[in-house]
Amino acid sequence: MFCLDTYLRESEDYQIHMSRAGFKDCARFIEDKAPEVVHVKPGEKIVGARVIGLPPVPIGINEEKGTIILPYTKPCYGTAVVEIPVPSEEREKIREKKIG
Amino acid sequence: MKKALILLGCPESPAQTPLAIYTTYKLTEMGYLVTVACTPSAKKLIEVADPAEHYLKNKMDIETCLDGLEEGLYDLLIGFVHKDAAVSYFVTFYHILNCKSLAVVFHRDPEKLEYFEKTVQENTEAETVSARAYHNPTPIRVRLDRALKKLEEL
Repeated sequence: MFCLDTYLRESEDYQIHMSRAGFKDCARFIEDKAPEVVHVKPGEKIVGARVIGLPPVPIGINEEKGTIILPYTKPCYGTAVVEIPVPSEEREKIREKKIG
Repeated sequence: MKKALILLGCPESPAQTPLAIYTTYKLTEMGYLVTVACTPSAKKLIEVADPAEHYLKNKMDIETCLDGLEEGLYDLLIGFVHKDAAVSYFVTFYHILNCKSLAVVFHRDPEKLEYFEKTVQENTEAETVSARAYHNPTPIRVRLDRALKKLEEL
């Protein structure tokens, strides 16, 4: 099973669009830049990790690149926007968690 | 026995560690079994301040806690909020646990203090107490005492 924390530790194939930012700015970035946006509940498990943020939490999907763009928050470092490649079944699982 | 979870953010603010130990003491007196979810550095500060675990017996890594968190695990959530990330963590824990909750918001910058309090209030139905505080925990401790007293009377 895909695990975000392990992936970010062990892979270099990801892109950080923003870092040490506030959650609202990161959410706005995802809403503006992602070709497709799915909103999920805070605490929802996305690629093996609970997503942290204010509801509704936007998760971007780029079907063409095979990536997702999501907020990634750590207590001392604020929120980052990370884009990672994920298998198509994981992208489908995210769509199933859509709210609203 | 009722169970309470105290959520600690980044330990950058000096007021956080004494407030965490104080809140644990008060909640234990009120009959709660208290667990603290915190970062590794916040845990080290508590371990040095309370070496014999006289006040705080149950400490848990914040990420491990979040991973296993489910509705019904705790009766009360108290979160210390003094950074943007702490707002996000508190709101997330609140929506998973769906229990009685109190956000203790403090910062030395009045604009940030207002923004954090407003964001918590817009995204949860938790009680909030707030005060300008950084080194001195007293302003927030006084408001926390009032909120805990109110909680006890419910």
